[in-house]
Amino acid sequence: MSSTVDDDLWSALGDPTRRQMLDLLLSAGSGTSTSLSERLPVSRQAVAKHLAVLLRAGLVQGRTAGRERLYRIDEEQFARALAQLNAVSTAWDSRLRRIKRLAEALQKGDQ
Amino acid sequence: MELGTIERELYIEATPEIVFEVVSDPALVSQWWPDEARYETVIGSAGEILFADADGGKVEALTVVDLQPPTRFSFRWTHPAGEEAVEGNSLLVTFELVAQGQGTLVRFRETGFRERGWTAAVLEETYQDHVHGWDHFLPRLVAYAATLDART
Repeated sequence: MSSTVDDDLWSALGDPTRRQMLDLLLSAGSGTSTSLSERLPVSRQAVAKHLAVLLRAGLVQGRTAGRERLYRIDEEQFARALAQLNAVSTAWDSRLRRIKRLAEALQKGDQ
Repeated sequence: MELGTIERELYIEATPEIVFEVVSDPALVSQWWPDEARYETVIGSAGEILFADADGGKVEALTVVDLQPPTRFSFRWTHPAGEEAVEGNSLLVTFELVAQGQGTLVRFRETGFRERGWTAAVLEETYQDHVHGWDHFLPRLVAYAATLDART
């Protein structure tokens, strides 16, 4: 996957409304732009725009159901996004643990 | 976690002065993060941190943003070499130190992922393996600290 697509993925996750939409899709299993807009303080048009961003990032998939499009989470892409986010914070957890041990060892050495 | 920001708080049984040295002094930073850190502990100092590995290693730019001993140290990193570190091309790391009892409360924060883009997260992930390499170092450090203790 190219870095351009990766940047799309990141900025897709960066918006609070889109994160709410992902939450709603995860808990409900699927949704339409109408059903999502009923649960969010934004218009159906705004929801449709956000859905387009999520689709482009590969985080959701859409299919036609009757007169509307039905959207659901793309689990593989979503898991991939979460794994990378977790990796970043785990790296800092390790570094902070080493900072703590080093500082406490130096403190003992000073006494 | 809030996507795009990492925040942590931890208590360290050492004075803010010691913790400040550990998080900011290049000689000590290279004991918990890169293999080598080259920058001056002066606001605006543009330097780099080096990670050694089998492929010849990696170099990342690092610029000191704020330095207020012993309460605050802040830097930007991952910006392209030769570019000025600004919002949008780098990650901003901040350590805030608050004296608490006999020790120090450390507030850590890294922001800029959203602005910097997904590639920064990928880059961090590639350092994961390197990070675990430090497990070899820690036993030696603890042993060294114990010998200092025994002398007092």
